[in-house]
Amino acid sequence: MIFTRAVSRVSSKFLRNRSFYGCSQSIASHRLSILPDQGHSCSDVSTHKGYVCRTTYSLKSPVFGGFTHQLYHQSSSLVEEELDPFSLVADELSLLSNKLREMVVAEVPKLASAAEYFFKRGVQGKQFRSTVLLLMATALNVRVPEVLVGESADIVTSELRVRQRGIAEITEMIHVASLLHDDVLDDADTRRGVGSLNVVMGNKMSVLAGDFLLSRACGALAALKNTEVVALLATAVEHLVTGETMEITSTTEQRYSMEYYMQKTYYKTASLISNSCKAVAVLTGQTAEVAVLAFEYGKNLGLAFQLVDDILDFTGTSASLGKGSLSDIRHGVITAPILFAMEEFPQLREVVDRVEKDPTNVDIALEYLGKSKGIQRARELAMEHANLAAAAIGSLPETDNEDVKRSRRALIDLTHRVITRNK
Amino acid sequence: MIFTRAVSRVSSKFLRNRSFYGCSQSIASHRLSILPDQGHSCSDVSTHKGYVCRTTYSLKSPVFGGFSHQLYHQSSSLVEEELDPFSLVADELSLLSNKLREMVVAEVPKLASAAEYFFKRGVQGKQFRSTILLLMATALNVRVPEVLVGESADIVTSELRVRQRGIAEITEMIHVASLLHDDVLDDADTRRGVGSLNVVMGNKMSVLAGDFLLSRACGALAALKNTEVVALLATAVEHLVTGETMEITSTTEQRYSMEYYMQKTYYKTASLISNSCKAVAVLTGQTAEVAVLAFEYGKNLGLAFQLIDDILDFTGTSASLGKGSLSDIRHGVITAPILFAMEEFPQLREVVDRVEKDPTNVDIALEYLGKSKGIQRARELAMEHANLAAAAIGSLPETDNEDVKRSRRALIDLTHRVITRNK
Repeated sequence: MIFTRAVSRVSSKFLRNRSFYGCSQSIASHRLSILPDQGHSCSDVSTHKGYVCRTTYSLKSPVFGGFTHQLYHQSSSLVEEELDPFSLVADELSLLSNKLREMVVAEVPKLASAAEYFFKRGVQGKQFRSTVLLLMATALNVRVPEVLVGESADIVTSELRVRQRGIAEITEMIHVASLLHDDVLDDADTRRGVGSLNVVMGNKMSVLAGDFLLSRACGALAALKNTEVVALLATAVEHLVTGETMEITSTTEQRYSMEYYMQKTYYKTASLISNSCKAVAVLTGQTAEVAVLAFEYGKNLGLAFQLVDDILDFTGTSASLGKGSLSDIRHGVITAPILFAMEEFPQLREVVDRVEKDPTNVDIALEYLGKSKGIQRARELAMEHANLAAAAIGSLPETDNEDVKRSRRALIDLTHRVITRNK
Repeated sequence: MIFTRAVSRVSSKFLRNRSFYGCSQSIASHRLSILPDQGHSCSDVSTHKGYVCRTTYSLKSPVFGGFSHQLYHQSSSLVEEELDPFSLVADELSLLSNKLREMVVAEVPKLASAAEYFFKRGVQGKQFRSTILLLMATALNVRVPEVLVGESADIVTSELRVRQRGIAEITEMIHVASLLHDDVLDDADTRRGVGSLNVVMGNKMSVLAGDFLLSRACGALAALKNTEVVALLATAVEHLVTGETMEITSTTEQRYSMEYYMQKTYYKTASLISNSCKAVAVLTGQTAEVAVLAFEYGKNLGLAFQLIDDILDFTGTSASLGKGSLSDIRHGVITAPILFAMEEFPQLREVVDRVEKDPTNVDIALEYLGKSKGIQRARELAMEHANLAAAAIGSLPETDNEDVKRSRRALIDLTHRVITRNK
């Protein structure tokens, strides 16, 4: 993976130093020698957006666990060498995660086991937010008139970059804190646990570690000296808590409501990323309109991500049903595909109700799901949101800056990847 | 209690409308008819600070639970009718409590119940912090030149007052959030005379409710649009968590260190009030020097309060040892009196170490404590801090405003009360 990242970086640097017209064969062969399975055709078409290549190649992405990933851009004729959004920000990401892990363990040695969360929790989402935010930071960077700041543009940019990275750090701290607090068990649960002392200690360490991260997030927020940013992230925390409470306290009627589900999903999954995207825009000194576009990107990307997550829990790595982990349905957690299926087959409700008492109902539920358009409609909804996210980026003010353009393309690429991923 | 407050308020109003020279017998007899056990002597001495009375009387304070409280002002010859600091701000406190109840309303019913649990009538606690902050707000109020604000002084004052009250609200939310989490960490059964939230609604809801309150506090902080204030309260939040972490993760050596204990006590008890006092000063547009004085008041008052709290856990309502609840020593929690005693009797360490395995060691520990100067030294230290707090108020810039002067006297009065209280 590191090797692949290095190749991407070399390629990127290569590109930056070359004219953006034409397609260099040497770069292509450089690529070809490293990565197999490639068809490659270039046309010397110079557009104002850079050179044009149509390439299908295998790209190993460190975030998605090294699986082979086919990229198609039928609609867009633009494929860049530095297409992998994650490699664009890979170095910064490591910096961020390491810092976070060290910080918790150093201050509170007993929290080493709680800090494991940084490693084990949902690999697919581990650095997703940070990636989005770092790309957004570049995508929104405007050249600030020197007269306003009295410093060279470079210094401003890097000071700004540190602040923008601060949003990513804060967001990650809030995310992990919420994971830790969500895992706090009620006393009834702890008594059923394996070893009561372990579970009790686990509880306390979860609370303390989460509090530690939240308090550090507060301090980091204050240091940014921007009260609007504080307000945005405070809202995100409030939404996380609200979403989790909705999850554990929903009535039967609410559990069967698509509207309730989407609201809960927004709170639990999308609000943090939407508000932090907006915070990045605010920090960058962007207009209110641009800040809203950043917000809309984050929101729709988050929703699309969760909807596909729901589907994958049923389908897994294959297109067929029932090959996924099925952990949602087994725990009686009702997600989008089932909710859509219930609209066609109201009897599915009772089946799902009985799942936890009698696990054979899982198979019955899958049957109904298979007969219904549930999976399809969920995917359509996900694509709707992914398109809205891409459109938000497309509506950003024009720019000449290549780094900015590249990051925007990467953000749009992400909206495709959340849909096409199959893991 | 309400009756007493009414009397105090009537007396205050009476005084405000009268000249401050001389001592009115009718007021005195008004008092005498309500409260027994009074000696009273007045002298018609007019000073620039008001009339002078030397009175010893019983005052039932609503905050300290209705016990008889002897007030002596040997050093100061000034005793005011409106001496009760709590009655000075009683009305505003109700306003505050009502506002707080509004501010913690959540859209999810279970979260709403959890969040408002300790803001309901009867369980909002002593409101000690709010009292201090409201008094401090008045004590620091300066007349802002009309030319700067373009509005009448009244509107400015009341808009400022709303913002200052905001600090009190934020402080209260942060405080309750920390209580909710502490109760989970300590497995507490009761709090403020009712079942603790973790028992009533479970650990998870307690943790979530605490997070919710914290996020609301951050939102309210952001709304004040003052980044220095945000920084101060964010620091307080970090300190609360640090203090709790110190408590839970301390090594044996650290537990026996007076220095560690005072640092931890500052973080856990005094930092919130010191930083919020400073925040009030900052909001009021005071100079940095005055802000530091406000900080010093809060810090020293908080430390004095905790030290007395430690003593009372041993002595209770009597002056003799062992009549207190002894909850600290029974749980192996080492506080100031024991730490001082350990300096005289190092063997006390092992005794305390064995307390949780063998409770008879509590009596042995009490024996050592009684032989030592532990209680006395702790009280001396508390008085040192109380005096520092009073001195901070005394160093505030001169003022002619009677309300300001009255509030400052009340703040000084509080520094006496924290020492002389025996409950």
